[in-house]
Amino acid sequence: METPKDLPKFGVLQLSGCSGCEVSLLNSDEWISNFQLVYMPLVVTSNKIPEDVEVLLVTGGVRTDEDIHNLRKGRSRTKKLIAVGTCALSGGVAQFKDNHIARESFLKASHRLRMPDMLPNAYPIDRFVDVDLYLPGCPPTPELFMTALKDPENAKIASIVCQECGRQKLNDMRPTSITDARSGVVLPDICLVNQGYICVGTSTRGGCGALCTRPGHACVGCRGPANSYLNKEPRFVLDNLHRVFSRMTDIPAEEIDAALESPWLSLFLGQFTDYTQETNLPPRTKEKML
Amino acid sequence: MTTITYPLSRIEGHARVVIDIHDNEVFRADFQAMEMRGFSHYVRGVPAEQITVIVPRICGVCSTAHQVASVKALEDIFGVTPPPLAQDIREVLLLGQLVQNQATSLFIFTMPDRANASSLFELSRSEAGNPREFSLAQMALKIRKIGTDLISLAGGQFIHPIKTAIGGVKSGIPRAKADQMILTIKELLPVAAEMVDTYWDMSMEMVDRIGSWGDDEPTHYLASTGANEYRLNSQRLRVMLPDGTEAPSFDPHEFEAYLHVAESEYSYAGVSSYMGQILRANSLARINLAQSLGTPLADAYLKRFVQTFGKPAHAIMFFDLCRGIELVYALEKARQMLECDLEHGEIEVPYTPRDGTGYGLVEAPRGPLIHRYEVEDGLIKSADFVIPTVHNMLAIRRALTVVARRYVSQDGISAELERAVGRVVRAFDPCIACATK
Repeated sequence: METPKDLPKFGVLQLSGCSGCEVSLLNSDEWISNFQLVYMPLVVTSNKIPEDVEVLLVTGGVRTDEDIHNLRKGRSRTKKLIAVGTCALSGGVAQFKDNHIARESFLKASHRLRMPDMLPNAYPIDRFVDVDLYLPGCPPTPELFMTALKDPENAKIASIVCQECGRQKLNDMRPTSITDARSGVVLPDICLVNQGYICVGTSTRGGCGALCTRPGHACVGCRGPANSYLNKEPRFVLDNLHRVFSRMTDIPAEEIDAALESPWLSLFLGQFTDYTQETNLPPRTKEKML
Repeated sequence: MTTITYPLSRIEGHARVVIDIHDNEVFRADFQAMEMRGFSHYVRGVPAEQITVIVPRICGVCSTAHQVASVKALEDIFGVTPPPLAQDIREVLLLGQLVQNQATSLFIFTMPDRANASSLFELSRSEAGNPREFSLAQMALKIRKIGTDLISLAGGQFIHPIKTAIGGVKSGIPRAKADQMILTIKELLPVAAEMVDTYWDMSMEMVDRIGSWGDDEPTHYLASTGANEYRLNSQRLRVMLPDGTEAPSFDPHEFEAYLHVAESEYSYAGVSSYMGQILRANSLARINLAQSLGTPLADAYLKRFVQTFGKPAHAIMFFDLCRGIELVYALEKARQMLECDLEHGEIEVPYTPRDGTGYGLVEAPRGPLIHRYEVEDGLIKSADFVIPTVHNMLAIRRALTVVARRYVSQDGISAELERAVGRVVRAFDPCIACATK
């Protein structure tokens, strides 16, 4: 048996987030025998990132000046850096985009003495450092964490959620209005779009095992856009979704558009938006996406 | 004046302890939250019914409690009462959260302190010669995983659950899945009890070594679980006075009359008090306010605790021991509930959205959690989250001051101080993401 010292060293740097990605990682115990966890303040007494980390997972968005400092230090001490979760990829739910009222109210309330300063927004980490691999998801499943650590180069990721869902798309089942998620009874084995649910699995990258849609909960898009929409304006994703709903349903166009603009979907559908608007940054290629 | 700063690991989120020392005398000790989530600001203007998907993201550790509290607050506004079966399924969900949280706090956060190890994984490796089928770390993660699986079963997702909906729950728990879960709990309950016993023994040895369970003056205690029914999907808040008598209970609507919440100058987390008095919430508060938990093994552990330490018990590290009792309880209770039919019957009732102000209460692992929303024209006008960790803030500060005074003397600052500070904070199991909502 290998001694722990021979095992590859990995660390987890948590910026501003909810710890949900860490919770997901802890739902797998497979890594215990394959890797040596050398830095993860949530579970290990560790104030400093060691110098010789093989892989550093970064969760959370950049929210404070201290986050920038820790992120840059982390980058300098690891061979490979993986951005994990919606917040690291986009800033996450904590980013305000054009919600200036919320931003103002937040910044006004956030002044404290001797505390890290809050930035005006929550930023994706690749605005500050190079990222070797992106692992989207809110949070990514434990299985995806293991793939990211073990063999991301040879991973086969389903291009969209539908590939893993197993629900059948029917030609003759065309809803005329959106099914209210609160009153509907979900039929087994039939595509949620056929049943009138606002499910965005058709444009969302797979790899999650369709763990929401299989038991009947519409996909909210937490894995972000599929490869064909990387580095494109969010309207391309919305346009595609619109096409899917017009092809598969008889729901009026305005009703579809209004539903697609709901805040909970914008949490995730827009997760690459800020990025695409930053013209001076290198594109996130599909080779770097898990 | 010297200021010592200890960054903290093995807690949820970014926080530090700051101790000001003047002439070898402790002037002040503070516990500071270093980040701000700020959800109460950015949920303004969100359509009310979408709030239940957004607020679980306040915290990935406590997402279940936030989801249920937000649903209950909207039900309060819309004037709808979910059917009993839905209430039971929500209880299973919250029991799952309790298992996950207490296992994490006991084994991952605080067990290493008992052996001066840096992590459970290091502790586990140092035990490698132990003739066990699984290492300590593997057992801990397996027990924790039961909590995660219960959340998936009753909540539809292992984090940021989705099945609890306004008016009830979206689906029941199928018999086959319940039976599978019961088998797992049957297999692992003895393992959990063994781990809790190991924890108890390690704590006793540690206290022999350091000479204290963490003395501090008695405080008020706050919980929303009952004296004989430990229901986490709770209705009313209860307060125990330092002498063990109980003050009149109150409804979440009335919380502002009893719980005074204020911002802090040096921390992104606020503080709350019971009408100006220092409060404690979390495991020790619930156990002090309980006569019986209602499951056999947990009641045996409760009896041992009360016989050994009295009632009410006040020392800081009793919080940790009480988490052990609760871990056993939650496993036993989840198994009992899964034996019942949670598949057939009315699981949700229709409702009509309307404007107004509403309150939702649950007993989260760290104590009573209240969500308050004001809805106008179908949108969130204002949101307030009353957070269990915030109830403990004044108690944490005072306990830190006591422990700092213990380890700072005319001879200087003891090397034990840093470890002691970690033990005190971890006993309260603070959650910084929630506390800075």
